[in-house]
Amino acid sequence: MTHFFKLLKSPGSWPLFRSDDRLLLIVLAVVVGTCSGTAALLLNQGLEFMIARLQPFREYGWAIVLPGIGAALAAFFLNQIVRENPGHGIPEVIDAVSQHGGQLRLRSSFSRLVSGCLTIGSGGSAGPEAPVVMSGAAIGSNIARFFSLNDRQRVALVGCGAAGAISAIFNAPIAGMVFTVEVILGEWTTLNVIPIAIAAVAGTELSRALHGNQIAFAHRAFDIHFHDILACVGLAVFCAVISIVLSRSLRATHHYADRIPLPIWVRAFVGGCMVGGIGYVLPDILGEGYPGIRLAIDGGFPTGLLLVTGIALIKILSTAITLGSGGSGGIFAPCLVVGAFTGLSFHRLIAAIWPGVPWVNEGCFALLGMAGLVSGVMQAPLTGMFLIVEVTGGYGVILPLIVVSTISTTICHYVEFASFYLRDLVEQGKLLRMGTDARVLADLSVEEVMETDCIRLNPHLRLVDLIDRVENSVCDYFPVEDPNTGEFLGMIDLNKIRPYLFEPTMHHAVLVGQLMDSPVETVSPDDDLANVLKKMDDYRLFTLPVVSDGCFQGFISKVTLLDRYRQELRAQTPIHA
Amino acid sequence: MKITLKKIASAFDLPVPTLERWIRQGRIPVQRSGDEVLFSRPALEKWAAAHNLSFHMEKTQPIPLLTAPPDTLSAAMAQGNVYSDVEGESVDKVLKAAVDRMTWLSPDVRDELFFRLMDRERLASTGIGGGIAIPHPRDPLSPPPEKAMVTTCFLVRPVAFGAIDDLPVNTLFLLISPTVKLHLHLLSRLSYCIRNAAFAEFLKTRPDAAALVAKVSAIEAQLDKA
Repeated sequence: MTHFFKLLKSPGSWPLFRSDDRLLLIVLAVVVGTCSGTAALLLNQGLEFMIARLQPFREYGWAIVLPGIGAALAAFFLNQIVRENPGHGIPEVIDAVSQHGGQLRLRSSFSRLVSGCLTIGSGGSAGPEAPVVMSGAAIGSNIARFFSLNDRQRVALVGCGAAGAISAIFNAPIAGMVFTVEVILGEWTTLNVIPIAIAAVAGTELSRALHGNQIAFAHRAFDIHFHDILACVGLAVFCAVISIVLSRSLRATHHYADRIPLPIWVRAFVGGCMVGGIGYVLPDILGEGYPGIRLAIDGGFPTGLLLVTGIALIKILSTAITLGSGGSGGIFAPCLVVGAFTGLSFHRLIAAIWPGVPWVNEGCFALLGMAGLVSGVMQAPLTGMFLIVEVTGGYGVILPLIVVSTISTTICHYVEFASFYLRDLVEQGKLLRMGTDARVLADLSVEEVMETDCIRLNPHLRLVDLIDRVENSVCDYFPVEDPNTGEFLGMIDLNKIRPYLFEPTMHHAVLVGQLMDSPVETVSPDDDLANVLKKMDDYRLFTLPVVSDGCFQGFISKVTLLDRYRQELRAQTPIHA
Repeated sequence: MKITLKKIASAFDLPVPTLERWIRQGRIPVQRSGDEVLFSRPALEKWAAAHNLSFHMEKTQPIPLLTAPPDTLSAAMAQGNVYSDVEGESVDKVLKAAVDRMTWLSPDVRDELFFRLMDRERLASTGIGGGIAIPHPRDPLSPPPEKAMVTTCFLVRPVAFGAIDDLPVNTLFLLISPTVKLHLHLLSRLSYCIRNAAFAEFLKTRPDAAALVAKVSAIEAQLDKA
């Protein structure tokens, strides 16, 4: 029985998967995609349930505290009960993928679902997508751990979880795949893309089986002309500006809220109540806000340029307050809502300036605005394009979509060096994509590049004895140790003592203790290799002794480092057949 | 077949911790079952080739840079023989007389050798002081001899050789080697012997081949021991 269990836990050794792990990953991808799809649908059901239950109270004035209570409960749950980091979790997933081989905690697979459901269901302005991505990723990671897979396979399954979740929640398989590869993993290799595609199919199929094949924002066909595509350039600039405003206000509220010396759930309560107050006047901004998008795309939104621009800005404000104050949720849905209203605003603006031009229906611009915002905030043009194509079922708008997405991403990238998700990671130097210098240096440890076959010297040796040892060695550097305590005293660098080597009168008169460099710059075995290299560059050294607890461990030299660095880089370079 | 991690690591020329990390990270194709790791040699070879990494299960010797050649100075001296009655009053005459003694070489080779020796002498004298000269061709002869040889010649009359200390030369060590590397090796051993004061005194006794070879092998034995 135990043998069977052991065999079950290591499917890599089953005859079926032994030759190649691709098949194993595909099978597990189906499992992960289904599980994460289920998580996504659970959150959806939870949200629908909460919204339906709370709807009757919306007309009362005291309903403004509902989002506050929801956000406070969410923050309390995350912070006190499951003890997880606040925030929407996507940077956490990216960090796990880039630094920790995709390791995520088991509790992450449900914690954000609960907190997201409380925040959004009670009316907080946030999206359910980030919580399900986090859950899906954690499910994938833990399934990989259960089957004792290695880091590469685990990262692939984390991607499968994210793809399955996005695919299921939007009924959009391509968007799920593209989002995962473009934003979460950041690398396009067949090894990853195939299981992720399978997981996206599994997630979507599950969603269709339980929910039916619904297109979230179905619309009628648009008649797009050349002048509309030209106008898209303007829209893209407009979207980029709004994207930057959204990203910056999210960061700003987060920054200020962090400084308020109150428990996080109190902050979340206050923030939620503020959003509730806004929502009492303008109910469109509450929750994920999809009904507003449907109205905008149908072209049935009340007229008025200022109204829609105002809604876009207020949605930004309320999202920033909800998430900044400690509410739990993502920015996917707010991006879509803000984008739709940005598109409407732009359409109404150009229609007011050039009333004679037969512009396409404003619903089309709402669509394009959504793509512009998603592409801009996440700096992921493909995700923006495919998501909008799939959620609106409108391949007909693909040309202006491409224009808006690419231009918006470009402008945003010009202003913000990294996307909303990656910015913090990049600033902390935690974004380590495969095959980059930072990644290679982070993977190699001091222990791995250290040379340990060194000739250790006693400080009381005479120069003539040193020459004797030099003659019979291939080293240029020699550590000097205290013969009694083994303490590292300094090192001999042949290049520095060269003049004395050829001076026979000094051979018997000088001791190693006098010749050695001391004190010397040293590194410890736990140091980051990047810091070690920086030290070498700063002091113009080629060799550094590794010292731990005062004892010499070995040398790190640039010569060996080049060998190891190349081996590592070659192992990380994907095979291009 | 069970292979240890250490063997695989050395086949990749990697430290063991790196190999362990590669397995953990899933870089390298292995099958894991619990704590055990199974390698398949063809899979490793294929993977290494695809990533342009070197992989050699059999320990290949690194290309030798300067390994001690098997020929010893004493062997080369035995090969070259000792002559204690070489005549001549000038550099070219003694060299000609010395080369003529090397009868085991064909006349053509002897002519070439003499020509090359004179060529080298014109470049700079091989008289290294203390009455000793080490005439040798700059490059190995063509075709090179199979074994290195040092022909020791004691001159009947000291000859002005243009040595660095201007002393006339009474002893020649004519050095011929198949490779430049071996030449350097023998030269360094020879100069080690000559630096030895006791050996210099011993040379003045004009020893025969057996005595000389015995003395040199004693010195070499000391050198090899160090």
